[in-house]
Amino acid sequence: MSLKLEDVTVKRGIGPVISGVSFTVEPGQITTIVGPNGAGKTSLLEAVSGLVRSYSGRIEVDGKEISKLNRRQRSRAGIVHVQQGRAIFPSLTVRENLELASRDTDTFTRVLGYFPELEKRMSSATALLSGGEQQMVVLGRALMTQPKYLLIDEMSLGLAPVVFMRLLPVLQHVADTGVGVVLVEQFAHLALGISQDALVVSNGKVSYHGAPSVLLEDESRLQSAYMG
Amino acid sequence: MSHANTATRSHQLRFGIVVVAALAVAVAVTFGLPSYVVFISTTVLVTMVSLMGLGVVTGSAGMIALSQLTFAAVGAWVMEYLMFLTPLGSVFGGFSFIVCLLLGAVVAAVLGLIVGLPALRLRGVNLAVITLGVAAAADLTLQKIYFPDAWLNQRIDRPFGMDRSEFGDRMYFLFTAIVVVIIAAAVYQVGRGKLGGMWRFVAFSERGTAAAGTKVRNAKLSAFGVSAFIGGLAGGLTVGQIGQVSYVSFQTAASLGLYVLCIVVGAHFIDMAFFGAILFVFIPEILKQFGIPLEWANVVFGVLGVQALTSNSTLGDQIRSGLRKLKRHGATAQPVSAHLEEVDLERTSAIFTTTGQPLLEVKNVTVRFGELRALDDVSLTVYDREVVGLIGPNGAGKSTMIDTITGFLTDYEGTITLDGKPMEGLAPDRRAHEGIRRTFQQDRVPSSMTVGQYMRLMAHGKSTPAEIDEILSYFGCPPAHTPLRVVDVGSRRIVEVAANVASKPVVLLLDEPAAGLSHDEHIVFGNQLKKIPQKYGISVLLIEHDLDLVRSVCSKLVVLNFGGVLASGNQAEVLRDPEVLKAYMGEKVGE
Amino acid sequence: MNPLLALSVGLTAGGTFALFGVLLTIMSRLGKVVNFSQVAVGTFGVFLAIRLVPKDMQPWGAILVGMLVAMVLSILIGFVIAKWLGDAPVSTRSAATVAILLGLYSLANLLFGTRPQPVLAPFKGPILQTDLVNISQLAVVTTVTAILVAVGAKLMLRYTLVGTRLRAVSDRQDAAELMGINVMGLQLGVWAVTGLIAGFGVGVVANIQATDANSMITILIPSAAAALVGAFRRLDLAIVGGLGIGALQGLLTAFPSIVLLKDWIPILVIVVFLLWTERKEVWDVAR
Repeated sequence: MSLKLEDVTVKRGIGPVISGVSFTVEPGQITTIVGPNGAGKTSLLEAVSGLVRSYSGRIEVDGKEISKLNRRQRSRAGIVHVQQGRAIFPSLTVRENLELASRDTDTFTRVLGYFPELEKRMSSATALLSGGEQQMVVLGRALMTQPKYLLIDEMSLGLAPVVFMRLLPVLQHVADTGVGVVLVEQFAHLALGISQDALVVSNGKVSYHGAPSVLLEDESRLQSAYMG
Repeated sequence: MSHANTATRSHQLRFGIVVVAALAVAVAVTFGLPSYVVFISTTVLVTMVSLMGLGVVTGSAGMIALSQLTFAAVGAWVMEYLMFLTPLGSVFGGFSFIVCLLLGAVVAAVLGLIVGLPALRLRGVNLAVITLGVAAAADLTLQKIYFPDAWLNQRIDRPFGMDRSEFGDRMYFLFTAIVVVIIAAAVYQVGRGKLGGMWRFVAFSERGTAAAGTKVRNAKLSAFGVSAFIGGLAGGLTVGQIGQVSYVSFQTAASLGLYVLCIVVGAHFIDMAFFGAILFVFIPEILKQFGIPLEWANVVFGVLGVQALTSNSTLGDQIRSGLRKLKRHGATAQPVSAHLEEVDLERTSAIFTTTGQPLLEVKNVTVRFGELRALDDVSLTVYDREVVGLIGPNGAGKSTMIDTITGFLTDYEGTITLDGKPMEGLAPDRRAHEGIRRTFQQDRVPSSMTVGQYMRLMAHGKSTPAEIDEILSYFGCPPAHTPLRVVDVGSRRIVEVAANVASKPVVLLLDEPAAGLSHDEHIVFGNQLKKIPQKYGISVLLIEHDLDLVRSVCSKLVVLNFGGVLASGNQAEVLRDPEVLKAYMGEKVGE
Repeated sequence: MNPLLALSVGLTAGGTFALFGVLLTIMSRLGKVVNFSQVAVGTFGVFLAIRLVPKDMQPWGAILVGMLVAMVLSILIGFVIAKWLGDAPVSTRSAATVAILLGLYSLANLLFGTRPQPVLAPFKGPILQTDLVNISQLAVVTTVTAILVAVGAKLMLRYTLVGTRLRAVSDRQDAAELMGINVMGLQLGVWAVTGLIAGFGVGVVANIQATDANSMITILIPSAAAALVGAFRRLDLAIVGGLGIGALQGLLTAFPSIVLLKDWIPILVIVVFLLWTERKEVWDVAR
């Protein structure tokens, strides 16, 4: 029971944007992928969720290769992808965004428990919310579908660090309920703090795969990956 | 250089041979085939003219036009009117036919411009709606007012005293053939020239077209006007052929059929326009022979049309790529790359000799999207002969900045000044003319032309062919006659940079120009970028993520974060600033 | 003829334009396509139905069967477009419907001939006739249908789960797919419903406005003009536009000297509203 990637390479146009990626996510585990501006990191998540259909290597969910499944089928299999840039449905209200996934009241209450700020914004059109609130809606929507494996792309993008820090504990709680989480993040330090596994990607290749603590203790490894 | 000349000369030679051969075939048909076939062949040629006109506006410039035969009707109507009811019909003797034919086509073109103007500002489907409407309305009006030949119950005189005997029909075929060869030659040459390049560019990317200094509306309107003119010519030729016409000859359904046929065969290729005309005329003939109702041809065309659209290719495309495969004897095509010579990868800090004059001044620019401030009181200056780097984490506002400077974002506070001249209120194409040029993050180099054609299009006459070749070789680009479709994506980005350099701008904005190159190629490319100010006198504002590249190319850096300027100044200092590090890598835990 | 009388007579056609204007607007917003085959599926369905249904069960039997045939045709077209042109731009999808219009037009001429079809009228005569106005039953039926469809669409979109899902798909299709929403099913549903109503629309007006396949175009154009009045977004304005165009055309019949202008009214409306809606140059990301 895991999400497993084996030697995955994703091509965009002529050449590969990311190659040779292998890692496994167990239920309850948080894996963080960090690195400088990553078209490669996003493409990797898109290959898992089906937004990008062609890749080489193997991607298995609970033992089954998923390459033949379309986006809807992968979503039903428990893979939920939270896209970069807060993909809200702008003309829908907060309540409608959340209820799209499920109308189960228990789940609804639980999600609202994570994001109590949304209570008073239930009837607002999501287009009018702040960046942080929109990110909550997108996360909440993903949680309403009761994912097995949650892929989150650059949640921190455009969010003030204090807002990002507000959202991180939520991810920890979610993982504690048995969800496997893959975080792609530019803001390495904060994300690494809650992870059990870490990958550093630069120039389309994995330059480190191992314990997050190593990266947190040794500044230079991260810095050389980001700043050259 | 001589290679390019030989390529052009062999092209002209081939062109000349085709023209002569076509005329020879025409003569042979005139005298060699039965009169019924000659008559039908005249219809084929006239249909080919209509298809060539459609090809300009659909295949070449990418729009949906459903009124091609209405332009023919207008051309025919005006021509008849002039010939019957004005002195123009006889004043020029045998040439009156040609004069009135041309005038009729001009009026058709004017109608095209009137119809096209409101529709072509931005959305292509609007043109489809308008042209269908015009076709339907014209149908109804023609049913009520008739053509002048019906008023007078006469037929117009054919040119040069040809009569309507069998011999006259043959001579008229020859006349039509000569006219069609002239039209085809003109369409071909225009297609290969600047206007054709502009049409293909606007079909591929409207932003790219505007950023290169051409108004989108003008590009599309010229295509539509030309297609209407050619359509008018077809109408006049029809009148000469059959003498008495009515709305039936120019029906809306036939315009629809012609459009669908056009996208099936790809009538922007001249040979395919000819092939399409043959299909349009001979398939019904064949069906008649077998007793099958003619409408089946249209049903088949409809199905083929859907197929062509879903597969996103025309018959012409498929034939051409098939022929190319044959020439390669079945081997797969190797993409052509730019040759970035091996250069020292040492990182030199960049110091430039500059006049110190500020060329691009951005002052207190704020851009709001609802509550969000995409740019927050941003100021930066690019001085003469500088390379300034614009860096910052993802989502910081860098692309928004470029869009604002180049005029794609018009709703902003603050001022943008180029060499002292304020840019407020100027559209993207005007700013391009003033001297602000940019490249795009996504591929906006059309693959339907050659490197040289693209360079000339972008240069707007500011560089001589010799200068263009020099720029191409400086950047290691493929030679000018290379078709862009075989150039790989990364190298196309370099060609885009080279093309913008060739337009001799004041300031050049590069939006991640090296994405798609390998890490080492980034560095080499960076060295070439570094020399642009000294070599070409152009200042550069560079958005990049590869900080190695930035370090070696830029003397100054501006760091954006959350839409505001986080730091700016000397490159080495900025990159050591702990705030900048934090912006890229995030807060440390426990801070 | 008295101008007011002429104007009110024009409302008969106007109601049809309003109804199809509403359908075109719905297809544009939810189906991301300008559906040139919108009238064609209805016409084809009705013409087929009058041959299949015995005379004593007409006109209503024919109208019902026509609606069903139109619905099936519409679903087929929607399937082709959703499956193979799902990511294509609006212009390409619309071009496909142009090709389909051509096919249906020719097929109709082939199967049913080009002479006027023997359609029976379900609504004959006026509902209100005085010296000053003459409003036909047909005008009321089509206009009321248009209003019901518009109101029904609005209510469904706002208050039902299906409606919410449709709006989500229309906002961001990829995000909707990632949530497990059945995008294809929803889109086919939209095609099915618009096809059904198109069949009804043609069926009730067939005897005066759609006696042959040319109606596939002659009803389409003014309806597209009506939709443009609402910028292909607003249903209420599409209805007003359709009625307005019909009224204007009717009005012109009272002035024989400029009656030729009547055929050009839809174009003029299209041009005016295009100039109005596109007066500011706006760059969207796609280009």
